[in-house]
Amino acid sequence: MTPTEAVDVVVKVMAPYIGDTMARSATEAHCQKLGITGSAVSTEQVDALLGKLGGGLNIFLGRDKSASVVAEARQALAAREASR
Amino acid sequence: MSDDRRFESAPWVVLGVAVATFVGWAAFPGTTLYTQVLTPHRLLALAAVLKLVYLLAGTAWAFACRDHLEPDNPARPAWFLLSLGLLANFAGQLCLAPFQVFRNETPFPSVADIFYVLAYPFLIASLLVLLKAYRESGFPIGSLLERTLILAGVGALAAVVAVPILTPVAATGGPLLDRILTVAYPVLDLVLLLPLALLLRIALKLRGSRAGEVWVLILSGIVFLCAGDIFFAYFQSLGETHLDPFVHATFVLAYGLVAGGAHRQLQLLRS
Repeated sequence: MTPTEAVDVVVKVMAPYIGDTMARSATEAHCQKLGITGSAVSTEQVDALLGKLGGGLNIFLGRDKSASVVAEARQALAAREASR
Repeated sequence: MSDDRRFESAPWVVLGVAVATFVGWAAFPGTTLYTQVLTPHRLLALAAVLKLVYLLAGTAWAFACRDHLEPDNPARPAWFLLSLGLLANFAGQLCLAPFQVFRNETPFPSVADIFYVLAYPFLIASLLVLLKAYRESGFPIGSLLERTLILAGVGALAAVVAVPILTPVAATGGPLLDRILTVAYPVLDLVLLLPLALLLRIALKLRGSRAGEVWVLILSGIVFLCAGDIFFAYFQSLGETHLDPFVHATFVLAYGLVAGGAHRQLQLLRS
């Protein structure tokens, strides 16, 4: 999966909670910080990205809800990967 | 419309009707409705009760939000401080309510002002803690230059608005304590506006989401709180008491919006 595709999947899951604009800018900013820029995203990079986003979501949603949103994003990414 | 949806929207309808009633009072004070049915004394009592209800509900919901967040969550102290700020406002309103309900008067200054002034450090601290929490979350809060420009813009705008309004307020006669308090409220509001402006920028980025709804409600409530204080200072010092209904409408709306925002956040945390 490319970084752009991964960002789109994660943004779609997070948007109902923090909005499309914030979800996209947060995900892209974390991708940049984590060096997720190549042609494909590794499992480790996905874990690191979701970990960072989960930490940020805590502020708005609390730990439990944030964990369930991260799990949802992980499932969506896995489903996307499987459909390729 | 489903029963749940109706139940959800009922408090907003009540808030809208209440605000419209007070605005109507200011606009058409001589009509039969406002001279025979909704007399000034009844409306003052109604405003007192509504403010108490919204402030108590807001305090309880903000505290419940704090309770639903983990001890190490950086947003937890912000909700606690917000609940303390609302509680201080509730205590102030509780001091005024007996005078307003039973004697149709609002003493100023009074012991209530101690609580109203006390509310500001809590509210300001709440917004600052929230800003710090956002920054620590790694979510974008804008570049340093962008934030500096927002603060400078709000500061300049506040000065442009505040100076012509507060100059006649400060220049009016009357006891020193009256004048200090009348100027202090809007000045404290202007301090509150600085972190508020930065948070509003973040809230705009959250638009269309559940978290965005929470923050738009709370922050717009605080904007109306600032507006209410400025109206109060201006009308009080210039003796424009016939405009008091606008002050009541603004405060009822402010407290209602903040309470509504805290309730939405609690729903989000419980979902």
